[in-house]
Amino acid sequence: MASVGQPPSLKRRDAPVSREGDQLIITPLGAGNEVGRSCVYMSYKGKTILFDCGIHPAYSGMAALPYFDEIDPSAIDVLLITHFHLDHAASLPYFLEKTTFKGRVFMTHATKAIYKLLLTDYVKVSKVSVEDMLFDEQDINRSMDKIEVLDFHQTVEVNGIKFWCYTAGHVLGAAMFMVDIAGVRVLYTGDYSREEDRHLRAAELPQFSPDICIIESTYGVQLHQPRNIREKRFTDVIHSTISQGGRVLIPAFALGRAQELLLILDEYWSNHPEFHNIPIYYASPLAKKCMAVYQTYILSMNERIRNQFANSNPFKFKHISPLNSIDDFSDVGPSVVMASPGGLQSGLSRQLFDIWCSDKKNACVIPGYVVEGTLAKTIISEPKEVTLMNGLTAPLNMQVHYISFSAHADYAQTSTFLKELMPPNIILVHGESHEMGRLKTKLMTELADCNTKIITPKNCQSVEMYFNSEKMAKTIGRLAEKTPEVGETVSGILVKKGFTYQIMAPDDLHIFSQLSTANITQRITVPYSGAFGVIKYRLEQIYESVESSTDEESGVPTLRVHDRVTLKQDSEKHISMHWTSDPISDMVSDSVVALVLNINREVPKVVVESEAIKSEEESGKKAEKVIHALLVSLFGDVKLGGNGKVVINVDGNVAHLDKQSGDVESENEGLKERVKTAFMRIQRAVKPIPLSAP
Amino acid sequence: MGTSVQVTPLSGVFNENPLSYLVSIDGFNFLIDCGWNDHFDPSLLQPLSKVASTIDAVLLSHPDTLHLGALPYAMKQLGLSAPVFSTEPVYRLGLLTMYDQYLSRRQVSEFDLFTLDDIDSAFQSVTRLTYSQNYHLSGEGIVVAPHVAGHLLGGTVWKITKDGEDVIYAVDYNRRKEKHLNGTVLESFVRPAVLITDAYNALHNQPPRQQREMFQDAISKTLRAGGNVLLPVDSAGRVLELLLILEDYWAEHSLNYPIYFLTYVSSSTIDYVKSFLEWMGDSITKSFETSRDNAFLLKHVTLLINKSELDNAPDGPKLVLASMASLEAGFSHDIFVEWASDVKNLVLFTERGQFGTLARMLQADPPPKAVKVTMSRRVPLVGEELIAYEEEQTRLKKEEALKASLVKEEESKASLGPDNNLSGDPMVIDANNANASADVVEPHGGRYRDILIDGFVPPSTSVAPMFPFYENNSEWDDFGEVINPDDYIIKDEDMDQAAMHIGGDDGKLDEGSASLILDAKPSKVVQVKCLLIFIDYEGRADGRSIKTILSHVAPLKLVLVHGSAEATEHLKQHCLKHVCPHVYTPQIEETIDVTSDLCAYKVQLSEKLMSNVLFKKLGDYEIAWVDAEVGKTENGMLSLLPISTPAPPHKSVLVGDLKMADLKPFLSSKGIQVEFAGGALRCGEYVTIRKVGPAGQKGGGSGTQQIVIEGPLCEDYYKIRAYLYSQFYLL
Repeated sequence: MASVGQPPSLKRRDAPVSREGDQLIITPLGAGNEVGRSCVYMSYKGKTILFDCGIHPAYSGMAALPYFDEIDPSAIDVLLITHFHLDHAASLPYFLEKTTFKGRVFMTHATKAIYKLLLTDYVKVSKVSVEDMLFDEQDINRSMDKIEVLDFHQTVEVNGIKFWCYTAGHVLGAAMFMVDIAGVRVLYTGDYSREEDRHLRAAELPQFSPDICIIESTYGVQLHQPRNIREKRFTDVIHSTISQGGRVLIPAFALGRAQELLLILDEYWSNHPEFHNIPIYYASPLAKKCMAVYQTYILSMNERIRNQFANSNPFKFKHISPLNSIDDFSDVGPSVVMASPGGLQSGLSRQLFDIWCSDKKNACVIPGYVVEGTLAKTIISEPKEVTLMNGLTAPLNMQVHYISFSAHADYAQTSTFLKELMPPNIILVHGESHEMGRLKTKLMTELADCNTKIITPKNCQSVEMYFNSEKMAKTIGRLAEKTPEVGETVSGILVKKGFTYQIMAPDDLHIFSQLSTANITQRITVPYSGAFGVIKYRLEQIYESVESSTDEESGVPTLRVHDRVTLKQDSEKHISMHWTSDPISDMVSDSVVALVLNINREVPKVVVESEAIKSEEESGKKAEKVIHALLVSLFGDVKLGGNGKVVINVDGNVAHLDKQSGDVESENEGLKERVKTAFMRIQRAVKPIPLSAP
Repeated sequence: MGTSVQVTPLSGVFNENPLSYLVSIDGFNFLIDCGWNDHFDPSLLQPLSKVASTIDAVLLSHPDTLHLGALPYAMKQLGLSAPVFSTEPVYRLGLLTMYDQYLSRRQVSEFDLFTLDDIDSAFQSVTRLTYSQNYHLSGEGIVVAPHVAGHLLGGTVWKITKDGEDVIYAVDYNRRKEKHLNGTVLESFVRPAVLITDAYNALHNQPPRQQREMFQDAISKTLRAGGNVLLPVDSAGRVLELLLILEDYWAEHSLNYPIYFLTYVSSSTIDYVKSFLEWMGDSITKSFETSRDNAFLLKHVTLLINKSELDNAPDGPKLVLASMASLEAGFSHDIFVEWASDVKNLVLFTERGQFGTLARMLQADPPPKAVKVTMSRRVPLVGEELIAYEEEQTRLKKEEALKASLVKEEESKASLGPDNNLSGDPMVIDANNANASADVVEPHGGRYRDILIDGFVPPSTSVAPMFPFYENNSEWDDFGEVINPDDYIIKDEDMDQAAMHIGGDDGKLDEGSASLILDAKPSKVVQVKCLLIFIDYEGRADGRSIKTILSHVAPLKLVLVHGSAEATEHLKQHCLKHVCPHVYTPQIEETIDVTSDLCAYKVQLSEKLMSNVLFKKLGDYEIAWVDAEVGKTENGMLSLLPISTPAPPHKSVLVGDLKMADLKPFLSSKGIQVEFAGGALRCGEYVTIRKVGPAGQKGGGSGTQQIVIEGPLCEDYYKIRAYLYSQFYLL
């Protein structure tokens, strides 16, 4: 069912091929066999969705972007952002402001509030040349107006695409998106964690199993230590360091895990009154700004914190004070400082590190994933000496502890999640390729008996799948008063809204939809000064049914042609005609008008018989020509074959059409049907109209 | 056939009583709303008590007493045990509203219909949903989804869906976008099978938007003149909007008169509301996203949770928002009594009071010159009143003590000794009895209690007996008036001068005054000299917009509830004429069947058929004419196949909604002179286009627009006809 291949282009093509409607394409534009610049493209039934819009932290400028040039941004209907981290959201201002994208963007409330702060900070901090800047602060502000918010579980429908999100547990506001297009469901997890921590809920298990699950694989087959053990190690380190009069440095990224650590510290301090004179500082202006967001979007956090909220806001820390710069810091005696950046590259965390690193009483706790090449990564291996910012070297005597609080799923969580969800197709993204490979192998063995497909596409490598969705329609109203038997015919208006179909009688249209129907009555006066009887006589020669009567109100004589058009002698100089618009009546009325005018002009009498026969032959030939021309315009390659048959050749599929009987022979069913219908329609258009219609 | 739907009102039809309706969908019983009024009259819950045990799920729509007040009582006493669904704010603010109600009631009588614990346990079973969350009730095939109602924070329009048929419950919605709320999304639902809605405001039309100026003028005038302003408000509903309006006004005009928000739960209300930003209007969320300004970080408003704080506030003009809005109990009642007699003061009502309450009475036109209010304890008596009161005291004191110890006994189960003196005095009991029964008669007769009733009234049909309580008298005789001061700790501010001075030390209540708090029943005629103003800030759609919305939603069947008899009848007539032919106005406990008589069956659309269907796009819809032959799929489903014989010709259908107002500019853009003349559109010199027949009616009637085009035979005629045709799709 699924295959990996490289289509020529993902840009929307004009002429849909028959099977394309059922084809679902998923292409990672970033985060395919890598970590960073998450961006996954998906298209099904002409609807296009983009999940996440990140940048790659290791690159700068355009190189950090996902491969946007693979797609046509203007064709995207919906863009969904899972959470505020740079590798998931930071190319959004670029995508919104610098491309032809004109769809709608959604994220959760908390994500949107932090997104702005984080990206504004990112623009200020990143020191790249102006040409390399992907966007500036104004772009961010403008993008804010275009971003729409949604709440967890809230179902939103855009152009027939239904989607809603579940808690992902990774950071505040992190979401997993479930998308439903015409009954095919796709779950995109973004970064998620199935473990509840101090403030976040664990990722939810969706109520319905998706057809495809696009899942992160950051930690591959690794396993996390249980949370309580990690927390104990963390507090123990701090406890012993403080008791010995040392200082603790915690380099951490301003948002996400930092809040979790602050909660742990604040609670630990509350339980240990002996520490109340030991200050805890958190030094990040960004974190301080974001505190308001954390204090507000309590509802997306777990029960525990919401219950605490009943007494007081747990994010109003009692024992933690903010620190703006190192100048405000009086380094007298033991203290705990949490400072950014997490990698100790520069800034306050580095300044403090330089001061404290040579004292063995001090400790440094690295609380999460650190990037290769940063000082934080270096000191984990506990070298003897480190290079300070001023270029000198100093002995590294302080204790270094690596205790990961990273909120990504580990192997245990991933495999349980997938086992409970049982998606028939799994697409792994957001993981280094070797981790991903190992995860795939391990999952394959674990899910061996479930016939699950696991695919690990690289960037720009498309996964194609086919879903044959049955189109179901509901026949309602008058048309459905009786359920029909096999072989009976059903005629009515098919109304499609989104991906739902209804069939109804025209009279019911206004009841079941917002559409309404109309009748147009036409009334036209034609100058005519002859006798009314003449008209009647002429009409009877042409039409089969002409009834005469008198008008009830005015008493003038009237004529009714085929129960459609009524003629009335209004005055001596005029007759009036009225009828209800529809193509046949319009034609009848036209011919009546022509006839009346002809009488007026007293043009010679009726046409000669032989002429009619001749014209019949002529019209036969003419019809032949018209049919051919129309077929050519529809199918292109149309040749006349033997026995009055027409050979039609479309993309290598050949169909033979018998013009007499209308029979079509072809290998290709689709083409056969098309030709058959086309021919039927053409014939109907060319042949005379039956007037026996109701 | 469609899904079976039955509606049985349990309370709140043909009047303005609390709302409570039983909606049964294919045998699954929903209780939608579970309201009570500010009198907590158990007789109102009679119909509910009969069906409470059969309820399968409870849906709450708004966080106020009228919509959820009876939940704790019903859960505790009536055997209601179904899961409850509401939005997070309805859950939270509803809980706080009930706390506030309880504490206010508790202040003036030994209110024992439910306790704080009952409230907690009732709300424990609430499942919280977010707006537009499709919650699948397991096993029933029913999906419930809350949608924005716009009246109160978290307020809900419920959509219940089964088999593609929607039942919508929408009461107290607001179309207008407000400071803290978005307008309702009710209009986005079209052609639901059933719509249950209220007629509460059908006869009210809001004046055009000068209300804000009036509101601000009234307040600032009074304050400048040195008077105080009292706004009787609900605990956690409309008050939020008022707070924001006041905040803005104060900031704009840099006023520095103090604003106090006084309810028992004011500080936690605001704390919670601060974390409900995702439920509020766009402007609030937007301002938070960009500048992190939480609109409910109130800069000018002081939150108070007891009245002594207000009394200790510096003198001078001030504005107080106090609960309850009905003035029946709570802080607003006390403040009203204090302030009413001063001409400088202003009592500003922002919503119509519940029927039969003091607030409603004061809103009468012309307002009463004096009202007799039930005084449990608060107003200092002076002069003759005082003397009269003191004379009564000897007798009363014994009586109160008896009751106090009774109450005490009931509450704490502490075995209090018997009191021989009192139990032996039949006079006391008789007096009591007479008193009680006299009071009880009224609520039995008419549902609305007269405002002039003296003293507090024990709920007549309360399941738990209140007093007197004869059986146990042997137990409490020995100890006499044993009173545990802890019981009265929240009952500060005893202003009974017989016992102590105003503003006296709240903690130290002697036995006498403590008993007086419980059941001192003097009533007082309060001279209403202050200014009374009513400015509508109810935040409900008014009559006009109700009608617009209804004709837009155009349900197949419409059920009208909650509204005075006149309003209900008025709206019914209107809807019969303009909305749909099936309008129901059930009586209490009358079950009406609104099962749709809609026929429907499902068919599969075969690939073959669909490949030949050419859709035409019309707004959100795509339409096409199909002629198909019925076949069967392998698994027995009906399926539609392309027709084998030439399709019979069918009457052609013109689809489209022609608006004359749109046609005019369209034609003139095509270079035709157009003007309206006598209801018709004159095009060019001779041709006219008219719309005839009943306009505006949807749902019922023929529903087809009748358009007439007339003119002499000329070129223009055909040209204009072609333009007219271009407005439609021909099928």
